[in-house]
Amino acid sequence: MATNNTFITVEQMEAATDALLETAKAVGADTWQQRVKNQTPHCKFGEEGICCRICTMGPCRITPKSPRGICGCDANGIVGRNYLRFTAGGAATHSDHGRNIAHTLYLAKPDGNYQVKDPEKLIRIAKEWDVPTEGRDIYDVAHEVAEIGLMEYGKPFGIQRFLKRAPEVRQKVWHDAQIEPRAIDREVSQSMHMTHMGCSSLPEALVRQSLRAGLSDGWGGSMMGTEMSDVLFGTPKPVDTTANIGVMEKDMVNIIVHGHDPSLSEMVVFYAQDPELIAYAKTKGAKGINVAGVCCTSNEVAMRHGIPMAGNFLSQENVVLTGACEAIVVDVQCIFPALGPLSKCFHTKFITTSPIARMPDSDFIEFHEETAGENAKKIVKMAIDNFENRNPDLVNIPNLKTTATVGYSTEAIKKCLDGVTNSHVDTELGTTKPLIDCVKAGILRGAVAMVGCNNPKVRPDTAHIELMKKLIANDIIVIVSGCSAQAAAKAGLLSKEAKELCGEGLKRVCELVDIPPILHMGSCVDISRMMILAADIAKDWGIDIPQVPVVGCAPEYMSEKAISIGNYVVATGIDTYLGVDPYTKGGPEVVKLLQGEIENWVGAKFIVDTDIEALGDKMIADIEKKRAALGI
Amino acid sequence: MGLFDRVFRGSDEMYFKAESELNQVIAELGEDAPMTMPDTAYFLACIYAYLGKKVTKLGELKEALGELRAMMGRDYHTKAIFDSGIATACCAEVIEACKYARTPNPYEGTQYHGHFADAEVRELGVPLVTRDIPGFVVMIGPAPSVEEAVETVKGYQSRGIFVFLIGGIIDQVHSAGMATGFKVRVVPVGADIWSVGHVISLVTRATMIFGATEPGDADAFHRYTFDRIFAFVNAYAPVTDIVVACGAGAIKMGFPVITNDTDDMWAVPKSLIINTNTKDWIETSLEARDIKIKITNIDIPVSFSSAFEGEIIRRKDMQIEMDGSRVDCLELVQTKEAHDIEDHSITLEGPDFDAFEFGSKIPIAYVVEVAGKNMQTDFEGVMERKFHSYLNCIEGVMHTGQRDMIRIRVSKASYDAGFRAKHIGEVLYAKIKSEFEAVVDKCQVKIYTEPEKVKELREMGNAIFDKRDERLRTLTDESVDVFYTCIMCQAFSPSHVCIVTPERLGLCGAVSWLDAKATNELDPQGPCQIVPKTRMIDERLGRYEDVDEAVNKYSHGALEHVTLYSIMEDPMTSCGCFECICGIEPMSNGVVIVNREHTGMTPLGMSFSEMASMTGGGVQTPGFMGHGKHFISSKKFMKAEGGPGRIVWLPKALKDQIAEHLNETAKELYGIDNFTDMIADETVTEDMEELYTFLTEHNHPVLSMEPLM
Repeated sequence: MATNNTFITVEQMEAATDALLETAKAVGADTWQQRVKNQTPHCKFGEEGICCRICTMGPCRITPKSPRGICGCDANGIVGRNYLRFTAGGAATHSDHGRNIAHTLYLAKPDGNYQVKDPEKLIRIAKEWDVPTEGRDIYDVAHEVAEIGLMEYGKPFGIQRFLKRAPEVRQKVWHDAQIEPRAIDREVSQSMHMTHMGCSSLPEALVRQSLRAGLSDGWGGSMMGTEMSDVLFGTPKPVDTTANIGVMEKDMVNIIVHGHDPSLSEMVVFYAQDPELIAYAKTKGAKGINVAGVCCTSNEVAMRHGIPMAGNFLSQENVVLTGACEAIVVDVQCIFPALGPLSKCFHTKFITTSPIARMPDSDFIEFHEETAGENAKKIVKMAIDNFENRNPDLVNIPNLKTTATVGYSTEAIKKCLDGVTNSHVDTELGTTKPLIDCVKAGILRGAVAMVGCNNPKVRPDTAHIELMKKLIANDIIVIVSGCSAQAAAKAGLLSKEAKELCGEGLKRVCELVDIPPILHMGSCVDISRMMILAADIAKDWGIDIPQVPVVGCAPEYMSEKAISIGNYVVATGIDTYLGVDPYTKGGPEVVKLLQGEIENWVGAKFIVDTDIEALGDKMIADIEKKRAALGI
Repeated sequence: MGLFDRVFRGSDEMYFKAESELNQVIAELGEDAPMTMPDTAYFLACIYAYLGKKVTKLGELKEALGELRAMMGRDYHTKAIFDSGIATACCAEVIEACKYARTPNPYEGTQYHGHFADAEVRELGVPLVTRDIPGFVVMIGPAPSVEEAVETVKGYQSRGIFVFLIGGIIDQVHSAGMATGFKVRVVPVGADIWSVGHVISLVTRATMIFGATEPGDADAFHRYTFDRIFAFVNAYAPVTDIVVACGAGAIKMGFPVITNDTDDMWAVPKSLIINTNTKDWIETSLEARDIKIKITNIDIPVSFSSAFEGEIIRRKDMQIEMDGSRVDCLELVQTKEAHDIEDHSITLEGPDFDAFEFGSKIPIAYVVEVAGKNMQTDFEGVMERKFHSYLNCIEGVMHTGQRDMIRIRVSKASYDAGFRAKHIGEVLYAKIKSEFEAVVDKCQVKIYTEPEKVKELREMGNAIFDKRDERLRTLTDESVDVFYTCIMCQAFSPSHVCIVTPERLGLCGAVSWLDAKATNELDPQGPCQIVPKTRMIDERLGRYEDVDEAVNKYSHGALEHVTLYSIMEDPMTSCGCFECICGIEPMSNGVVIVNREHTGMTPLGMSFSEMASMTGGGVQTPGFMGHGKHFISSKKFMKAEGGPGRIVWLPKALKDQIAEHLNETAKELYGIDNFTDMIADETVTEDMEELYTFLTEHNHPVLSMEPLM
């Protein structure tokens, strides 16, 4: 068993990965490290966003000699269209996840596979949506709320219900900027429509729709996913767990859950604890069943059950390369198709479960809400049966393991903050005021929301980890989600001991509130939690969100979802710092809008800098600038 | 102006004041002039603690001041205000030290206390551990009115909180005639904000004494004060920049500041709390520092708090007195059958206090009868010895002595407030029931003031005491099956473990083997754990495998070996609140013992403070050992090195106190009569050579013993 390390460096992780790559070489497996080499250099036109293949007249590529496509669209139009389509892809993905969760809630039954675990939160949402609750069966309420939620995707009139959660001044900004999202599917469809051959090529219109599509995700589909997941599976509370590849257990059946949708993983976790199945695992020579997570599925089960976090996006092949993975069970999003061929080099079962994510070389066990229990049980049993097929000569679990405290939902953060109020002075509980006081006094300088994926263009995890260390050393509290959160967990930065890396102000706050300096808020759909937190801070403070000394940062992002997120974070009024270029360099007007003029619409903009150190300096300067503007 | 700028400005102000004071005193006395604070072994304690510098000359103080200036960062991160705050507190110490450079007692004849002696710091050890003092408040005033000042200070006092007063609030409480002083736990420290340096000096010394914190390791000091010293600050408006800067230091140390000043003030949760309702400060403050007061609701017409323990009642203020040396008196606990006791029955046989004239001496006996399934007669004495502290906590009641030799005075003020004989019963009942709830199921108190009856009871009591003493005499380390640990002090001294045996009580003097046994019985998971004594390694040294295992376990690995009877080989450690310290005297091969109350020199050339600083905080220092007074006359006292016959010097007061028992022991061990006559004291000499002459003249047994080293 791996011993716990307080902090783990990127170098230690890389050394462990190198050892695993040796195994890969020995078994003839292909890995992303090799494929990156094969794909480099990348297509320059693609990178700059100036390749258009929206119609079959092309593909058209913009060069100084051919400044327009065949239809006459210029570089800015092409870049703008590509950018909007990228956003729409992300918004669709997150929102569809949210829809599935809403659908699961609709199917929840007292004696079914899924129940209402947080009725209090359900009632809160019901009241927000004017659903009667008095004297009603909680499941009736659940079904009505779920149905209303599902309607948010296609309703013919009106705007997203959750927008009302924002400060009034922010709602007005959205209205005036004409970016209030209507039905979620409509924003995605309209984005596709606008970018169809012969529709929009005006950068301003394309960027405006990008913000609107983004908002339909962040304040629509993602928020739905988060809120209804909480109702179904419980609102996260601080829970201790372990992280990094060393959480895999040599003598146990290792089941890795990977993807994003908690509906499946919740069931797998449940059956992995089933005494009958544990006994069965023992008959197969294993000491027990160990479920660990990768990617956002990991975040979901870690923050609700303390399930160990094996790794993030670019660790997904590593878990198989340990030779100790009996099954890698995936749902949707961010799953490498490479896992199929890779699993074939080992005994590992690669189990796909969603019709949305079908892949070659996998065992497909279609997962239905109605038969979730059976499906999960079958998967766990399959993994147990596979234990005896393990080749002990290939087993190498690197001795890297940290501890982490995860599960800081907005509700949990407020609860922690209640702990430092004084009942003789603070009349109200459940607010963000203690945090605001720390910021006003200067004990904390501000906050940064660190999110997003890994990307081989950035030395994996380095930007996340180094930026976090820099920020906390400067008394800036960090909230994290998604693969950024796991980078932090892997490095030990989600442990309470990480206070030792902080400036004195943040360290004191950590001690008094009893929190780590970096707060794990969940998976990537849970960035909606961050939006609610920012909105609540602004409301408690009596200012608009752009004035709050808080910025967002995705230093290693790679997916369409991340760009959709970026759009809604900026539209919410939070400056967003990117460490990877979003394929817009070829369209100077688009760049000017995204990294400049949209500030006039929404009070925030994008800042792109691939120099990570500089990115950090700029964030700190931005926070100080916001402080100065507030006179604090 | 932000909070940071206020701290920066205030720390500049304190620094420049310190610089100018120091320059002035150096101009007067020169850089080579000595710089010592009285009755301390810790130099200028703040500077020693935070900078690791031992200042002994004014020139060195100047160097230290330079370092303090360098600590005062000016960037907008919390570290800068925290460091500036600590440096500000140290500058306050410098300003005050300049006064002591000129004269050893600059506050003599004033209403201010100024510097605290090491002995005072050590005196706080036990009450802190037992939570009799649940916390400290530094009040920087004036309060909005005299009445409020008194009310708030009394409010703290009644909750046992130790109060330090700085500034205008001192005049306020004195103008209302309030008694102040270390004994009543309300100390008027000084008129100016820089007198806060004395409070921080006390705090840093407590940290060194009880926490064995390494001077210069500032982080360790901050950790200790944050985790273990429950202090806080009450700063009344107007709060100036210099107070804000001191506040930053306090907050760094973990002490929240509560203020009613709203002008340019910035609330920080649990650290800087703005509450304009000053009448609500006590509860606000206790909540801010997470201090929970153990409330004993006792139905008596006056206050009940540990703060009144040190209260002296003078004859002129005394309504009535019970004095065992003049009239018959008795206090006694007796175990009864449960059916013989009516719980909470309090009876008085004889006249009540009303029947006597002002200033009368009256006989009294109070018998506390208890019953309980787990009650043992051995606990009777344990309970009885708590009566002293219980009755002393009553406002306007002073109690001394024990058994039939007690003296109780009741003040006129408390009498006028309605305090009568039955209230003694209420207090004893409430305390016994709450503190001994695990063994006492039922309790009743019978009070007698009829002279004949009291006389009769006294005789009965003495027969019981004789029996009890006989039992105690048979209690030896050999006759019992187990010893006990005592780790009550670990809240303050995390790596110290006492091993309590029948012949070696805890070094604080407060925990005998029977006490430890009772404590174990009352709380089996508590501080007193059973140590079996089945695996002896060395009888002479008192070395047991079981003891080593216990100290290892309960010191969390800090200690490996402890002997019970040697001060040279793996001596038992000390927390810091020991009653006495003994150290070897190399010329005679004997030991010198000095008690905490003795402020003078010893033939070792060291005072109590200096000797005490050699050990404490769970550190083993062969040749030095802290211990309780009663251990001196034990046959096991440094038995490995030849026993109490090694004692060559004792302060006179201590010698007189223990003479009877020590002489008995010496007679038994060495066949010597009046052994204490052979032991020197401060009236004989404080000089090592003269001591040797004295010992030779008196044919002290140490001279024929083996060399110690």
